[in-house]
Amino acid sequence: MSAQGIVVAGLRKRYGATLALDGMSFTVRPGLVTGFVGPNGAGKSTTMRVVLGLDAVEEGTALIEGRRYRGLRHPLNHIGSLLDASALHPGRSGRDHLLWLAHSQGLAARRVDQVIEQVGLIPAARRKAGGYSLGMRQRLGIAAALLGDPPAVMLDEPFNGMDPEGIVWMRGFLRSLAAQGRAVLVSSHLMSEVQDTADHLVVVGRGKVIADAGVADLIAAASGNRVAVRTTAGTAAMRVLAQAGAAVAAVGRDTITVTGLSPDRIVGLLNECTVAFSEVSPHRPTLEEVYLELTREAVEFRTATPPEEVAR
Amino acid sequence: MRPALHAEWTKLRTVAGPLWLLLATVAATVAVSAVATSVVNCTASGCGSDTTKLSLTGVHLGQAPVAVLAVLIISGEYGSGMLRTTLTAVPRRVTVLAAKAVILTGVVAVGGAVAVLGSVLAGRLVLPEPGDRALSLADGPTLRAALGTVLYLILIGLLSLGFGTAVRDAATSMGVVLGLLYVFPIVSGTVSDPELQRLLGKFAPMSAGLAIQATTHLGSLPISPWAGLGVTAGWAAAALLTGGLLLRIRDA
Repeated sequence: MSAQGIVVAGLRKRYGATLALDGMSFTVRPGLVTGFVGPNGAGKSTTMRVVLGLDAVEEGTALIEGRRYRGLRHPLNHIGSLLDASALHPGRSGRDHLLWLAHSQGLAARRVDQVIEQVGLIPAARRKAGGYSLGMRQRLGIAAALLGDPPAVMLDEPFNGMDPEGIVWMRGFLRSLAAQGRAVLVSSHLMSEVQDTADHLVVVGRGKVIADAGVADLIAAASGNRVAVRTTAGTAAMRVLAQAGAAVAAVGRDTITVTGLSPDRIVGLLNECTVAFSEVSPHRPTLEEVYLELTREAVEFRTATPPEEVAR
Repeated sequence: MRPALHAEWTKLRTVAGPLWLLLATVAATVAVSAVATSVVNCTASGCGSDTTKLSLTGVHLGQAPVAVLAVLIISGEYGSGMLRTTLTAVPRRVTVLAAKAVILTGVVAVGGAVAVLGSVLAGRLVLPEPGDRALSLADGPTLRAALGTVLYLILIGLLSLGFGTAVRDAATSMGVVLGLLYVFPIVSGTVSDPELQRLLGKFAPMSAGLAIQATTHLGSLPISPWAGLGVTAGWAAAALLTGGLLLRIRDA
């Protein structure tokens, strides 16, 4: 295995009776945005804390460019990270927050002003961080992660609390970091956030990896050669196609999916029996569906909220 | 170690709290000392009490802001979660604690020196003729008392830093430290057994450490001045050691 990027291998960690990490293993390669997704409590943040040497594990290793975090002399030059954007002193300005971090790595104040500009925080840099919106704190956290110009970047839920404009900015920013050849790991519990950003996905549940594949591969694997048919005569269409030996399922108000027949054959059959339809196309599941399918087993706390809770 | 020290110094100087707490130490020490010396009765033969000790009595109150500052240096970071950022920047945890201890020592030394010099000066101005003559830093015991008081404040700071590191929560740490400092003397005042009273005076961090301020009747003290300061140093070392050990082994 190459010594580039972040390599997590066989992490095992227990919090009392709960197994937080159960053989977590994956690689974050340079030049790609790797989405780290899974339901809350799947072990994403714990894994990141282990990579950063904050939490100890009973078994396994986490290496950055082949080295353990705790052995790095100026770690921010090797990996930049953002775990909790609100973890700052509210009375210190954003610039001063970056300044002490820079000093801890032997970096000059010049570098601080560069990253402030890079994340677009100039107007707020000299104000107290306690008055920042969550979006501004995220930008400050990203600036901190970039201080050492590291080849690897690791961000825990960076989209949290961002306004739509900020989300668009964050996506472009993550893409540009990967385009510069950095290894980028971005966690999220919302699939839609990483859908357009990630090249590669590591899907986790209950402390281990459920799927580790390219975004395109995951979608292709989940589509299972299904064909989607849009029709207002769903019942009739389903009967005709089922008689021809296909497995059919209604997925929406006017959409059914068909497995076992080619699109051409479906069009032919429906025309023959004069069943009206408006579209026949290969089924393209959204990443959301793929993800739900993969994590269904792994969801630890199903949403069984009593009605009165919802009303509130 | 140097980058870690630089980072801790930058942290300390970029928020307002530490400076205010140091100023509070100076103000409280000088004010209480001045009031204490102003009520003493002096005759032509002397003031009938240890005027050096009296003129430095304000540290009883002045040490409290030092303790609060020291606790906040670490507990504040635990509270906000910033300690994780600190530990990602400097993964060697003992280095982090050592850097905090060095910077704290530096600022408390400066603040403490100002407080002590201010108190001595106030004593000289307030005390009438024969009493103030004893208050000269050229006088060996007085110099020892003044210097020792600055050291005492530093040790209280280090003790508080250790407790804050071990306990993590700011309010709890402050409660424990201030309790340790002030409850011992109160208990000592209520016990009637002189043996027990002497024992408390020997081992409580405040009463033992402040033996360094005594310049008269040294023979009747429960513990000699430097040995007393040594007891306080022992407390500080134990607290820092415990804090450092817990910081090393705990998940952050």
